[in-house]
Amino acid sequence: MSQINMVQSLNRSLDRLMATDERIIIMGEDVGRDGGVFRVTDNLLNKYGTERVIDTPLNELAIIGMASGMAMYGLKPIAEIQFQDYIFPAFDQIVNNIAKVRYRTGGRFDVPLVIRTPYGGGVRGGLYHSQSGEAYFAHTAGLIVVTPSNPYDASGLLVSAYKSKDPVIFLEPKRLYRAAKSEVPDEQFEVEIGKAAKLKEGDDVSIITYGSMVPVVMSAVEKNQVNADVIDLRTILPMDITAILQTAKKTGRVVIVHEAPRTLGVGAEISALIAERAIDSLLAPIVRVTGYDIPFPYSHEEFYIPDEKRIMNAINKVLNY
Amino acid sequence: MGDEETLRDMAIVGNLSNEQAIAAYKTAVLARTLDIKIINAQRQGIIGFHVPAQGQEMIQIATAMLADKEDLIFAYYRDLALYLQRGVPLSLIFDQMLGNSNDFQKGRQMPDHFSFKEFNFSTVQSPVGAHLPLTVGAAYSMRYTKKNGIVITTFGDGATSTSDFHAALTMASVYNLNVLFICENNGWAISLPASKQTKAEIYKKGAAYGIPGKRVDGNDLIGSLSGLQEAFDYVRSGKGPYLVEAVTYRIGPHSTSDDPKKYRIDEITDGSEKDPIKRLENLLLKMGVVDSNFVMATKAQAKENVDKEMEERMNIPPTDPLSIFDDVYEKPTWIQEEERRDLNVSD
Repeated sequence: MSQINMVQSLNRSLDRLMATDERIIIMGEDVGRDGGVFRVTDNLLNKYGTERVIDTPLNELAIIGMASGMAMYGLKPIAEIQFQDYIFPAFDQIVNNIAKVRYRTGGRFDVPLVIRTPYGGGVRGGLYHSQSGEAYFAHTAGLIVVTPSNPYDASGLLVSAYKSKDPVIFLEPKRLYRAAKSEVPDEQFEVEIGKAAKLKEGDDVSIITYGSMVPVVMSAVEKNQVNADVIDLRTILPMDITAILQTAKKTGRVVIVHEAPRTLGVGAEISALIAERAIDSLLAPIVRVTGYDIPFPYSHEEFYIPDEKRIMNAINKVLNY
Repeated sequence: MGDEETLRDMAIVGNLSNEQAIAAYKTAVLARTLDIKIINAQRQGIIGFHVPAQGQEMIQIATAMLADKEDLIFAYYRDLALYLQRGVPLSLIFDQMLGNSNDFQKGRQMPDHFSFKEFNFSTVQSPVGAHLPLTVGAAYSMRYTKKNGIVITTFGDGATSTSDFHAALTMASVYNLNVLFICENNGWAISLPASKQTKAEIYKKGAAYGIPGKRVDGNDLIGSLSGLQEAFDYVRSGKGPYLVEAVTYRIGPHSTSDDPKKYRIDEITDGSEKDPIKRLENLLLKMGVVDSNFVMATKAQAKENVDKEMEERMNIPPTDPLSIFDDVYEKPTWIQEEERRDLNVSD
C-alpha cells in the first residue's frame, strides 16, 4: 500500500501494465519527454522507449485514428488527449469508427483502445480546458465511459479499461489529480466496469454522483450530517442500474450531482431510469445539481461548478418536500 | 475455356504474361457485369443500394495484381474489381449486398461496405477518408510486431479534402510507415468535379509531408501496372509512404441514389472506345492474344455466373432480427439485453 494521489496512481498503474504487456503503446501530445502536461505518463519514455511512448504531432484526429488502427491490428494503445475539450476533431473517429467497428463487421474486428483524457473545471482553464463532455460519449452505443473519483478507483479502472475488448473513454477529473491522497495497493488490481460504489449508507436521501463532484458531495453531507446514501457511479456507460434503483427505492428522495451542464446530461438519463422503474417509491421530485447551461466561464468558475451550498439546497428541497 | 490454349504465348508488356492479361480482362468484365446486375437489382428492390465502380476497374485490378497476400488493404466503398481480382468470390459479395444470414457482417452494413478479413482486407465505412488514419496505425502495428507486408489504401478524389487524409499523411510520414496511398481520382465526388475539389494536383498533395507521389493512367491496365510498380517498390523497400493519383473516370452515378445527368455530360460511357475495359479488349484483340469469340464468350460467361450466383444467394434467409443487439460490445450490456427482450415481446 502507498499513500498516493491520482496522478501517481495512474502513472504506477500504467507502468505496471506496460511492464507486463509489450503490446501497450502510449501515445499523445507531450506524453513522452514531458510526461504529459499533468505528468500522468512521467518517466515512461525513459523506461520503455520511443517506440512504446510516442510524442505525437498535434492532431487529435490523427492520434485517435492511428490508435484505432493499432488496436484493430494487435496492439493495445492507450492514447491521451491532452484536454477533453480537444477531443472533438476525433469525434467522428470515436463515434463513427471506433464505437462501430465490432458491430459493423459482425464481430470480426474489435478496437480494444483506451482513450485517457482529463476533464472538468477548477484549474482556471477557461472555456477550453474545463469542459465535462461525458454525455457526448455516453450517447454512443459501443463505447464504455468511465470516470474515477479517487486514486484507488483510477488505478483499478485503468486496469479494467486495459483488459476491456471494447473501446473505453477514460475521463480523468483533473481537479482531483493532486487534490487528495489515498491508500492504493502496490500490485495490480481491478475495479469492475459497470459497478457503482456506495460511498456512504443512509436512509433519508440518495445522492447519485461521479467523478469530480464526489469529494464535494461527501464534504457537504458529512459537514451537514445528512443521513444520505451516496453513490459514485464510476462507470457512466453502461451505468449501474441496479445500484441506482436500489438507492432510489430505499430513500425515495434523489439528488443527482454532476459538473456537466444539465440539459440532456447524464442526470437526465438517471432521472428517466428512476421515473420509469421506481416512481412509486419516490417521495419527492428528482432534483439535479449540475453545471450551468452556458460555456464554461473563465472568471467566476467557482460559481459554475456545483458547490456544497447548491448541493445542500437541493438536499433540503427534497427532504422538505 | 478452349480459346485460351490457342492464345499466342507472348507478353504484352514487360513481365506481364498473356495469362495475367487475360485474367485481368476477365475480372474487369465480371466486375462490370456485376455492377450492372446490382444496379438492376437495386431498381427491382432486391438490393438496397449500390456504389458502382464502373470505369475504375483497371486501377483496381492492377492494385490487386501487385499486392501480395500479406499486404493489408484498406479499400473504400467503390472497389468491386479490387475485391474480385484479389479472389473474393461472387457468393460472398452477394451475401453482403443482400445482407443475408451468410453475410460475415450479419447484415449490419449497407452494400459495398465489406470486411473481407480472409483476403486481408480491413473494414469499409461510409464517412469519406475516415479509414485513412487507421492505415497508419495498422502499418505501425505491422512494423512493431515484425509482420511482413505493406498497407495499401484506396480512396476517391473527394477524400483528399478531408482532415482524415491529411492526418494520415502527417502520421505516415513522421513515423515513416509503409503505407501506399492510392487515390482513384474518378473526376467526381457525387456532383462536384475534381477541379472544384482542389486547385492542387492530387499526387502532389503529399509533397508538403515529404511524401513522393505520381500520377498514373488509371484507365489503362498497362499504364496502371507500370505506374504502380515504382510506388510498390518504394514502399516495400521501407522508404516510407507514397501517394499515387490514378486518373480514372466514374462511368456511372455516385450511387444508385443520384442521377448524373443533373450535373454532368458523360465523357466516357459503358462500352465506348474510351471505356477502360474496351481499351484492354482492343489491345488484346490487336495483339492477337484473344479473338472476338473469346470476348463474346467471356461476357456471356460473366453474365451467366453473376445471374446464377445472385439467384442462389437470394435463397439464403435473412439474419435473426434479435441479432441486431449482438456485437455492440463483446458481451451485451444490460441495456442491449433489455432492449432485445423488448423487441422480442412486441413481436
